[in-house]
Amino acid sequence: MSFVLPSHPRYLSLVRAAVGELASISGLPPEECRGLILAVDEALANIIRHAYRGQNGGRIEVDCRATADALEFSLLDQGEAPDPARLAPHALDDYSLSGRGTHIIRSIMDHVCYSQVPAGNHLLLTKRLNSSACAQPGDRT
Amino acid sequence: MTAVTRSVNGAIIVDVAGHIDLGTSPALRRTMLDALKTTGRLMVNLAGVRYIDSSGIASLLEVLKEAKAREKLLVLYSLTAAVSDVLNLTRLTRVFEICETEEQALKKGAPAEGARS
Repeated sequence: MSFVLPSHPRYLSLVRAAVGELASISGLPPEECRGLILAVDEALANIIRHAYRGQNGGRIEVDCRATADALEFSLLDQGEAPDPARLAPHALDDYSLSGRGTHIIRSIMDHVCYSQVPAGNHLLLTKRLNSSACAQPGDRT
Repeated sequence: MTAVTRSVNGAIIVDVAGHIDLGTSPALRRTMLDALKTTGRLMVNLAGVRYIDSSGIASLLEVLKEAKAREKLLVLYSLTAAVSDVLNLTRLTRVFEICETEEQALKKGAPAEGARS
């Protein structure tokens, strides 16, 4: 399932609906469906806010794949490369207004992999379908 | 997303419904900050919120900061699972004053019965 979206917040609800349906038909319980929707949405919002600096004319490619044991979400943009400090895990200050999106993504997904490729900035988010049953403390990257 | 304000017993209630995301959170933030200017007790009814992201949470935090700076009260109530999920993930459940019902929220900061002469 693939989308090419303008970097405009009005399209976020479209992706949320698609991700929710994919998670649901893949057998994830409602709580995990909500989490997955949130993680992908936060990643897209980060691209709009940071990579494209709020400009709505950018291009975002979203590719959603369901395999036997995982759901993968591949996001590609041609905006500015992200600040590594923003992507790294960090402690949350109670009243900090920023950085919570990245924290949410890392809390929900099993793997978060950022890379710069010739086509732009690539973010791969992976959720194991059996992660609820077999996840161990610290078993996240 | 809709955010409608009403006045009850000296407090202002903002009834929020729909999806709060990067596109809609600025409007919610403006509504809440405008409402806060007119009251010492702002109650945010989140019963109709089907989705909220970190930008929505940041808006709530900004209003909380403003309320604290002006020694006013901000109470969130009737949180849906969508809201609770994100507050838990961002470890903010203890930062906000949270009530289950509107009745409980309205008791927060209300003048004690018989206090008026």
